[in-house]
Amino acid sequence: MTFFSRTFDSLQHGLDYAALNNKTIANNIANVDTANYKAREVEFKSILDNELKTNMEAKRTHEKHFNFNEGINQFNVTTNKGTSYNHNGNNVDIDKEMSNLATNQIYYNALIDRMNGQFNSLQSVIRGGS
Amino acid sequence: MSVFSGMNISSSALTAQRLRMDTVSANIANADSTRARINEDGEFEPYRRKIVNFQSDSPSFRDQFSKIKGDENKTVNGVKVASITEDDAPFVTVYNPNHPDADEAGYVQMPNVDPLQEMVDLMSATRSYEANVTAFNATKGMLMKALEIGK
Repeated sequence: MTFFSRTFDSLQHGLDYAALNNKTIANNIANVDTANYKAREVEFKSILDNELKTNMEAKRTHEKHFNFNEGINQFNVTTNKGTSYNHNGNNVDIDKEMSNLATNQIYYNALIDRMNGQFNSLQSVIRGGS
Repeated sequence: MSVFSGMNISSSALTAQRLRMDTVSANIANADSTRARINEDGEFEPYRRKIVNFQSDSPSFRDQFSKIKGDENKTVNGVKVASITEDDAPFVTVYNPNHPDADEAGYVQMPNVDPLQEMVDLMSATRSYEANVTAFNATKGMLMKALEIGK
């Protein structure tokens, strides 16, 4: 049993993701009028896999069975190259980006809130509940 | 990738959009300028419409290097103005024999500025500017919130 529970790690990774996501969205919005720019996106799933990897182990009866902990251990920034929403080759959907920006902000604030909750719990334990 | 790179990205776009607005202003201001410059023959030439070209700011050498090295690399870099080019569209010819710049037949060459197009461009630039302000404030809000961790 570690002093800092695994929740901190999870929250920290979540915050990392949200910060990167914010930068990616900011970049997409910045390039909304750039010719031939293609929107970028951060993939969260891989980091979730990574989080689960250390928590969950598959019970394997054979060494060639798939384990749960397959996956890349970083978030990926992917570029959506396939589409074009504008005559100049740009495919930034500004409505989507703005709503993602708002969502991401709330998500980030929620994580910060939880982090503070964790710290408060720790503090409460340290003070002996007084 | 520093803490403030998100704000730098947004502010680069603010600068770029502001320049676009300035260019639109110059175009509208010169919509009737028949003497913008003197050409090779020593004659006055009307104003040509200016166009701002944006370009996604290329990653720095350091970013490229760390990408090759396999380090954490996100290459988010904002936008920059690549160039300001002139519109090659032909000048508008207007019949006005009293104009000092009219040719022998009485026709004057006017700038190839379309006020309607300029207004659309101006509104587009304004909206993009506002969107970037929102993005900037979002980043700022998140950073301020991060300062509250542990309080």
